[in-house]
Amino acid sequence: MNKRLMLSLAFAAGIGSMIGFFNPVPAQARIKLATLPDREAVVVRFDNPNVVMVEEERTISLQKGVNNVDFSWAGTQIDKGSIVFRPADAAAKVEILSTSYPPGEAALTWQISAAEAMSVKFRLSYLMANIQRETDYRMLVSKDEQTCSFKHYFKIRNWSGGRFATADFVTRDGKKFEKGLENGEAKRVLVNTWDKVKLTKEYVYDITRNGEGKVMTDYVLKNAKEIGLGAIPLEYGKVRIYQDDGNGTTAFTGEDWGRFTPIGDDMRLNIGIAQDIKIEMKKMVNDVQNRRGNVYDTDEVDEYEIKNFKDTDAVVTLVLRVDGEWEMKADTSGHESFERIDNETIKFKVKAPAKGTPVKLKFHYQKKNVW
Amino acid sequence: MKAPILLLALLLAAPLAAKEELVTLPGRDSVQLTIYNSEDLTLVRERRTLSFKQGSNRLQFSWANTLIDPTSVELQPVGDTAKAAIEIADTSYPAESHEMLIWTVSCKTAGAHVVEISYFTSGISWQAEYTGVVNANEDSMTLTAYVTVTNRSGEEYENAQVRLVVGTINLVEKIVNLATPRYPTPPAMPAPAAPSEEWEDDLRGMDEPNADSAAEDGMIRPKEIKKSGLSEYYIFTVDGRETIPNQWSKRLRSFSVEGVSLKTAYTLKPRDFGPAFTKVLEFKNDEEHKLGNEPLPDGLIRLYKDQGMGRLGYMGALASKYIPKGDEVKINVGPDAECTRTERRLSLKKKDLSFRDGWLVGWTTVEEFELEVKNFRGRAVEVEIHRSMAGNFDFESTDPFEKEDAATRKIRFRLDAGVARKFRFTVTTRHGTNAR
Repeated sequence: MNKRLMLSLAFAAGIGSMIGFFNPVPAQARIKLATLPDREAVVVRFDNPNVVMVEEERTISLQKGVNNVDFSWAGTQIDKGSIVFRPADAAAKVEILSTSYPPGEAALTWQISAAEAMSVKFRLSYLMANIQRETDYRMLVSKDEQTCSFKHYFKIRNWSGGRFATADFVTRDGKKFEKGLENGEAKRVLVNTWDKVKLTKEYVYDITRNGEGKVMTDYVLKNAKEIGLGAIPLEYGKVRIYQDDGNGTTAFTGEDWGRFTPIGDDMRLNIGIAQDIKIEMKKMVNDVQNRRGNVYDTDEVDEYEIKNFKDTDAVVTLVLRVDGEWEMKADTSGHESFERIDNETIKFKVKAPAKGTPVKLKFHYQKKNVW
Repeated sequence: MKAPILLLALLLAAPLAAKEELVTLPGRDSVQLTIYNSEDLTLVRERRTLSFKQGSNRLQFSWANTLIDPTSVELQPVGDTAKAAIEIADTSYPAESHEMLIWTVSCKTAGAHVVEISYFTSGISWQAEYTGVVNANEDSMTLTAYVTVTNRSGEEYENAQVRLVVGTINLVEKIVNLATPRYPTPPAMPAPAAPSEEWEDDLRGMDEPNADSAAEDGMIRPKEIKKSGLSEYYIFTVDGRETIPNQWSKRLRSFSVEGVSLKTAYTLKPRDFGPAFTKVLEFKNDEEHKLGNEPLPDGLIRLYKDQGMGRLGYMGALASKYIPKGDEVKINVGPDAECTRTERRLSLKKKDLSFRDGWLVGWTTVEEFELEVKNFRGRAVEVEIHRSMAGNFDFESTDPFEKEDAATRKIRFRLDAGVARKFRFTVTTRHGTNAR
């Protein structure tokens, strides 16, 4: 009753995975590759951030009774414990009775029982190592820096040892594209384009980001529907930024790593240093007060002089930090608005007039209970 | 067909000094393997029919290149006739071999008698594995349990009844140490089988379900694995007979249950799930979850998500410990961008400073925190945050919380689809001499 067939999968000869049936044969006379069912409907899924899952369909001709079907994957790195094998149609009258693993081989044998002789489509899923994925973005900013076109690319590189004559590749956010991918080959595919995305440009002074106290130019994209994004969480990836130069061409204006940005969060991209805005900090007051034993308070005034040498006014964001227990004094001045982000961090917005007219931010605070 | 490594021979009665002569080589009539998963231990019981002559019979049993514990080998007559007829006079362990013994059996009535030989071997193991296919809503799954038996014992047990023991037994010495002689010959471990080009030969030994076991529709079903309790242990008995060639593994289905209800809780619990705010799927091994017929032996649980049309995506895996009947299972499937958590310290204040000889010796800090959880999913989720503090502290919040332990507070709430919620709390910590 038992049939032994062996099927070779359509991976490259000599390497890759193989499914096989054995015809009834005398012992020792193992017949390989009696039939060769093609791989159908191959799907490579990247929806898990850490692993790549391959799913394929095979139509296998079963005879009535128990059939032994081999699957081998020499040369590729399939996690054998992850293999899920089942009929594509759950109602198919077949049962997988057992799975046997031979010693020292990247292979297994399924015992499949069939109620009658028939062709059955099976689905085979497994985790495969050495298929890398990478996300990158390209941003084309309008001349006036108000909007941009934001393109999302997905790059895959196949070192798995297997080859995919054609497969559906599915990204984490469910985008599907059909491609062939040889072993060793890489492909980059445009998966999303969002046009007329509203952009915010910020000049940021933040000593923790630029130790020399230079002002950085950031573009901020809120991953939200109201600015034209918000369809998917944005994966970590490099963003290359180009700007329309008004003459029908574009110029590369910088690049940055975009961090993983859930819907609703900001992606902040630094395009470079704003050299026309200068900030100088001076400590004007640094007094010890209220000394009790080894504990004291301090009274401190930090003065920031901001000069904007551009032809237009600019709003500069100063992100300042004070450790420990402290409070801001009411005579802090020279800002448009402020926001205490958390205990240690305060953010001021200062309007800096054009053409180098200096403006001062006076930040007066008292540190308490210092020792 | 390979020659069996285990040899049983009846020896002609001969003067003790003389070399024994081999007379018969009786095969096994049946064999039962009881495989433990907590220790590298298998109890083998085999039955053989032997022809005895009246008087003293000498029976040699040898086990070269296997992992049998010589101290465990026993011979018993089976059945009343055999029990009445034969008696084990002594067991001798010849000096020249550590992998052989000779029983002297006295027999009252000549003839064929059934004996049972039992012994411990190491090298055969079994492992549970689970595959869960989670539905699109993540509120239900189909859970399939498997057992995989691996034979690295050096011996092939053909057509064996296989019993798997779930439970942790106490052993004072490892069987593998008892099986390998400490002196004077070097341990003879079974050589790993070379990758075989021709495993057709071994496949012959794979248990072949026969058509007689087919149901009315002509289908042969996967073997049933019966479960029964025994003292502190459970025994899983595989229906029918199995052959697992040396160095092979075989996986069989233990059970498959559809509609196991699942709960999703986004959880921050560093002690169990690491530092990230992570998605945790929960179910219980009980009747309400269509389970609970038996404990779930420790093993890897792999979860896949139904991506529609029967397609699967990989969610994650948990190396699960033994799950008693009624106990719960929590599987960390990793951080998920669809539900995020941030925590900020809004303020820090110090108070109640106390001094001794001009030096600060006690103070109290009051810190205010804001926790924000955002649910970007299209359905409500459960949120569970275990927040640990150090030192002598008070935890206050106008939102509900529970005390988990002295250092930890548990904040639990349900978050509707597309909603963000902020949770504020104040931690007052007494330092130095202020601590009480």
